[in-house]
Amino acid sequence: MAPEKKKRRRSDDDGEDSALTFKNRLKPDSIILQTIRSLSASSSSASTSKTLTLADLSLSSTCREVTDLSLDSVQSKIESLILRVAKSILSGDGCSFDVPSRSSANQLYVPELDRIVLKDKNTLRPFANVSTVRKSTITARILQLILQLCIKSIHVTKRDLFYTDVKLFQDQTQSDAVLDDVSCMLGCTRSSLNVIASEKGVVVGRLIFSDNGDMIDCTKMGMGGKAIPPNIDRVGDMQSDALFILLVEKDAAFIRLAEDRFYNRFPCIIVTAKGQPDVATRLFLRKMKMELKLPVLALVDSDPYGLKILSVYGCGSKNMSYDSANLTTPDIKWLGVRPSDLDKYKIPEECRLSMTEQDIKTGKDMLEEDFVKKNPGWVEELSLMVKTKQKAEIQALSTFGFQYLSEVYLPLKLQQQDWI
Amino acid sequence: METGGSSESSVEPKKGKSKTRRKPKESVLKQKSPAEFFAENKNIAGFDNPGKCLYTTVRELVENALDSAESISELPVVEITIEEIERSEFNSMIGLVDRERVDEALYDDYESAKAREKRLAKEARNQEIQAKNALLGKKTKEPTPVKGIKGRGEASFYRVTCKDNGKGMPHDDIPNMFGRVLSGTKYGLKQTRGKFGLGAKMALIWSKMSTGLPIEISSSMKAQNYISFCRLDIDIHRNIPHIHLHEKQENKERWHGAKIQVVIEGNWTTYRAKILHYMRQMAVITPYAQLLFKFISDASDKNMTIKFARRTDSMPPVPLETKHHPSSVDLLLIKRLIAETSKQNLLQFLQHEFVNIGKSYAERLIGEMGPDFSPKMAVKSLTDQQIVRIHQLFRQAKFDDPSGKCLSPAGEYNLRLGIIKELHPDLVSTYSGSAQVFEGHPFIVEAGVSIGGKDVKLGINIFRFANRIPLLFEQGADVVTRTAIKRINWSSYKISQWQDKIGVFVSVVSTKIPFKGTGKEYIGDDISEIASAVKSAIQQCCTQLKTKIVKKIQAREQQERKRRLSWYIPSYSGAIYDGLKEMAELHGSKKRRYEGEDAELLSKVSTRLITKDTFRQKLAQHVEQVDYEMALEYATQSGVSEEPREDIFIQPLEAKYNFIGCMSPNIGFRLIS
Repeated sequence: MAPEKKKRRRSDDDGEDSALTFKNRLKPDSIILQTIRSLSASSSSASTSKTLTLADLSLSSTCREVTDLSLDSVQSKIESLILRVAKSILSGDGCSFDVPSRSSANQLYVPELDRIVLKDKNTLRPFANVSTVRKSTITARILQLILQLCIKSIHVTKRDLFYTDVKLFQDQTQSDAVLDDVSCMLGCTRSSLNVIASEKGVVVGRLIFSDNGDMIDCTKMGMGGKAIPPNIDRVGDMQSDALFILLVEKDAAFIRLAEDRFYNRFPCIIVTAKGQPDVATRLFLRKMKMELKLPVLALVDSDPYGLKILSVYGCGSKNMSYDSANLTTPDIKWLGVRPSDLDKYKIPEECRLSMTEQDIKTGKDMLEEDFVKKNPGWVEELSLMVKTKQKAEIQALSTFGFQYLSEVYLPLKLQQQDWI
Repeated sequence: METGGSSESSVEPKKGKSKTRRKPKESVLKQKSPAEFFAENKNIAGFDNPGKCLYTTVRELVENALDSAESISELPVVEITIEEIERSEFNSMIGLVDRERVDEALYDDYESAKAREKRLAKEARNQEIQAKNALLGKKTKEPTPVKGIKGRGEASFYRVTCKDNGKGMPHDDIPNMFGRVLSGTKYGLKQTRGKFGLGAKMALIWSKMSTGLPIEISSSMKAQNYISFCRLDIDIHRNIPHIHLHEKQENKERWHGAKIQVVIEGNWTTYRAKILHYMRQMAVITPYAQLLFKFISDASDKNMTIKFARRTDSMPPVPLETKHHPSSVDLLLIKRLIAETSKQNLLQFLQHEFVNIGKSYAERLIGEMGPDFSPKMAVKSLTDQQIVRIHQLFRQAKFDDPSGKCLSPAGEYNLRLGIIKELHPDLVSTYSGSAQVFEGHPFIVEAGVSIGGKDVKLGINIFRFANRIPLLFEQGADVVTRTAIKRINWSSYKISQWQDKIGVFVSVVSTKIPFKGTGKEYIGDDISEIASAVKSAIQQCCTQLKTKIVKKIQAREQQERKRRLSWYIPSYSGAIYDGLKEMAELHGSKKRRYEGEDAELLSKVSTRLITKDTFRQKLAQHVEQVDYEMALEYATQSGVSEEPREDIFIQPLEAKYNFIGCMSPNIGFRLIS
């Protein structure tokens, strides 16, 4: 079938309206649905196998991982920390915190797990040292604030936390960073600290779930979709008749697909985090994947940044590597827009952008990354990108019409099973 | 058309433009003297507009004066004075009677009835506003006096005088040295200050063009009992001096040197800053000179006198003349060398007219040239084709690089002193690179980097020098600017590109500086040899600075440690205490159970035996102790720090010893022999 297709493509070369020729190549939806179903079936059978943990690889001594902890145990952990510090101060010895290092030197990619984990190096944060006094004080303050949250049993956002002591924190990145440190110190996930990020991700499509007790039907969410709830522990009862999950990098493409009701033509769930994914979206995606056992297909820009986003979904970010077990979604397929698609779909030159020095450098650096190297298809695509020095956004497809994405490109991709 | 002009045209460096523009018809060939050429293209010598003309005149005179003093190994003393001349004074100087305007409407600055109405209305409005403000008790600025509208013809004139203690000029040569452009026959190759070798002549042409007044020269040579005085101007069309007065006067003070006075049109207001920058930068690169700059005008508040004092008496040696390097010559130059050589045969010619060609190497070269060359052949009999062959071989053959011995760099010692003297920086480092080669010309790059100082802007301040003169214009494209801004990672040397006052000083000396642009104001960024030499020189300076900066940071941390740590005590103790208090409440209400020591501590908190202040005091004590320990440790490591000393130069009272000197960048020894 493949050589036959190739031949046809060659004869199309002289065709003026390439958009139309691609459209003509589409088979009836029922046939396309058939191919997706087979993917869905294989995915659900594959993921029944047990997922590996650090303990299985006997790495639990050299690597650390956090778990969801109950509010009560978080509270007692903080209390004992504060008591220890208070006693140390009263005895005149000053005080210091022992914080797991989150520097990149302390990160490890474990191929068997297909994600980044944190190694066991710790750094001391004494008060009486000019270089650590600041972080040490912020740590103490954050601990005390979280203790309050535990006692009152309420949730606040990261922004709320920052505003409780702006003078000390100075800007939110500092309080956010220490918050992650505190998670590591206590050995719990960030959501266990009752601190949430403001919502960023959106979901639409064939999904029904409960959010804090309310049943949500994501097919009836209009164009904008349902915001992904920041605290995943209140999400439950997921039900779906979708065949796959479509991960979209950009808001614009998401709106296009939502408005065209793409999920009704091909039953699916569409998710976007509008750029780099936040914790809530990653947790939500993982939960969907684990509970519904659906294959995940990704639609990102054809640039190094798009692949980077894919990697954060797939094997986690270095910043949050201590919780990679809960945040990563294994086995995401790269559907598009891939560098090879630029020529395959005859995207005109004027819609392609030349990569900047920085882009090329990022691309080359990523070729060295383990999560790319483990997938030969990705290496090939990324090498092609670096070689041609061209990038394109999902929107480049709009050159053939605004609905080309939902009506031609994606169906054809699905029909050809063109994911890697 | 190109060469058919005249025999003179061969000396014109940039012809064509002025000539080819003539109407296409084969008209009468017109000869143009070099003086005429430069009068028409004065911009290429830096005489673009009145302001720049004033600036260039000053710099040409100063550079001539320095050269002259250095040529007789005298420490230069240069006085430069700019006098503003009123219009009426100028008119009386040229013997023109001041005329009152009769027909007012004839003039460009005539205020028509309509314009006056407008102005009066505006003034009335302003007064009204002011009266209102005064009523409300608001303070307002004094109304700016309505400026007299400056007309087009309103030129400013300046008398520029430059006096030095240099070599002076032989009495009879003075007219030709000033009144004839491109008259010197320079043979050989040498590092020189001047860019075109025009010097004061161009100033003379400009004075002729703008004021018509002659130049006045006084000069006396060492051990001459008279002063030559000469007043002359130039006959531009014939390129010959036109002497008004040429006489010998009494020399009572036994002065030697030259004093040149020229009256030109200029613009002090727009080029004031440039001229002052120039003088200051000249003082940096020439710390052994004493420079005095004066500006005199009728408005006493504009007057200024700036003295750039001498800081050292070690002077760079006079640059040596050298011969051309074979890889640097072109066809024309070879022909000229052949025409001028005193050597008879080819072997001797190669051996003696070029550097880095020894006898055996010359023989090998001749052998390589082909069968129609022989060592003994008369050099003057070479045909054009043969000369081309020689040229080709010069291009392809391998020669040793020319040595930098003929160059006279400012020297690290002097550069450092100059920077310290003029900028008073907090930190300074200097570096002198070894001689390198670009297209057969040796060059040396020296650099200095300073941090802090007075009259220095935040960020990177570039000071560029080429053959020991400052370059002020077209900074953006210069190799030094580009390198300092784009290729130096300042933060890796603990220097902040935006928050520190960084002075970057780069001096390039060469027998031929590869200038770019018509004004010869910058060195291009495309010459990789120079670019990398500049980069490594700056980096060397930065590396030296880094150790000092790190020490400084440490010292500052020592001082600030206690303060910085103490700043966090309230927050920290507050956080811990608040945490305890909440736990104590839980403990009190029996919602949670604590045991042993913990319970004891919490009861102390609830009974206020332990308060926030307890934690504060304990932490403060701890900080005190740690600070003391660390200060002790620091002191044992770094020793007692010294206070910076004031730098002065003390002129030896009894001069004239014979010295054997040895200089390092930081210190110089002199042994009396």
